[in-house]
Amino acid sequence: MSKTDLPDAKAMLDSRGLYDGPTIHSMNPLLLMEKIIRERIIDSMYWKEQAWGLNAATLLDRAVELQFIGGQYANQKPTPFICLILKMLQLNPEREILLEYVQDEDFKYLRVLAAFYIRLAWPAAEVYKTLEPFMADYRKIRLRTQSGYKLTFVDEFIDDLLTKERVCDIALPRMPTRAQLEDLDELDPREPLVSDVESDEEEGEEGEMMEE
Amino acid sequence: MSKPKGVYDNAATGDTAFRRTWDREEYAQKAAERQVREAKERKERYEAKLAGKKYIPKSEVETDPGETKFDDSKMIEARRDRIRLDENLNKVQIVPLGTTGGRRGKGPGYYCEACDLNFTNSLEYVEHLNSKQHLNATGQTDVVERATLEMVRERLTWLKQKKQEQDKAEEFDLSKRLAERKKIEDQERLEKKERKRIKKEEIRQRKAQTVTETSEQSGEVDDDAAMMARMMGFGGFSTTKTR
Repeated sequence: MSKTDLPDAKAMLDSRGLYDGPTIHSMNPLLLMEKIIRERIIDSMYWKEQAWGLNAATLLDRAVELQFIGGQYANQKPTPFICLILKMLQLNPEREILLEYVQDEDFKYLRVLAAFYIRLAWPAAEVYKTLEPFMADYRKIRLRTQSGYKLTFVDEFIDDLLTKERVCDIALPRMPTRAQLEDLDELDPREPLVSDVESDEEEGEEGEMMEE
Repeated sequence: MSKPKGVYDNAATGDTAFRRTWDREEYAQKAAERQVREAKERKERYEAKLAGKKYIPKSEVETDPGETKFDDSKMIEARRDRIRLDENLNKVQIVPLGTTGGRRGKGPGYYCEACDLNFTNSLEYVEHLNSKQHLNATGQTDVVERATLEMVRERLTWLKQKKQEQDKAEEFDLSKRLAERKKIEDQERLEKKERKRIKKEEIRQRKAQTVTETSEQSGEVDDDAAMMARMMGFGGFSTTKTR
């Protein structure tokens, strides 16, 4: 890994086919985002002013300031969330740094941001293993769409990431379903996060039955 | 040898005193130095050609962009604050005449002091702040330091602390600020009362004074009125109606 990063994505988007930097899914990371939205991001004020010259540490400053997630809003403006995703694709942070991001408890938008990046960049089995524990995070998050704000939750968003093809106006890389991966023995069967709660409830119900 | 004298060549009149003068010796020395340097370079170029190599100027060899660049210029740091694009909004500025054409020099719009350039829209201005030209002018390289895991952890704990302090400050503030506000209001009320009292006192004093003055002046006033009455045929502007 080089010791320096670039302040913007200009050099990585060289159109002459000379790209020789790090790759994700054996392609230029920035190309994981469609051309249209990528260009809208690069033309946006947030990208030029706020996202310029960040590295994996200073990106945190912007991530904790996030107020909503989403792809494009209003008149097809890219959200700061999607701008930071592009920034992370450009920075290509190390695995440990991403785990640090996603495991942090205090900042929910940082977790969601890191989860989205992990879904974009990591191999399928690891995506499932890393993201499924956060289905137990029920905190509210704001989703901004073309037509306004919507309420969603961290667990709902993670589920979308694992099951949907398009999230936040971005086509996610194709990923086999959990069942397929289990058949290939790449994943163990999922342990339900709510098993304890369910058994408690059952006990409670039984107790009520007894009382009746 | 006597030089032919022109019309403007008369030093006594000072006609040509406004012209620039040059230190001829200094420039002669510079020219000599340049000649030596160029001759040397030509020789090196020729020798390189004879040896079948490509000639690389020494200045480029010495300043390897990868290493020496970092010595005096620092790497880009992320912006701490927002760029204040609405700084001059609704302000009237005096702009020198004739600066609106080119970019150089201060004019209406956004002005970059380091590069002496002027921009008419915010996007252009921000793009300029990100450009290599601006980075060079402000002594920065065009790369950002890559963050390590340690740096990320440090930053995260710092942000958490900051958030905690903010939360605490907000809680703490409310009761304290209410108390402070009450104190200030009490003070103001007292002052207002005092002011009112002083004003009343003054008015009372003035009234007492005017009453004494008029009683003193009454004789004089009567004489004046009598004079006026004789002259104009009426005694004064006040009513003469008997009540």
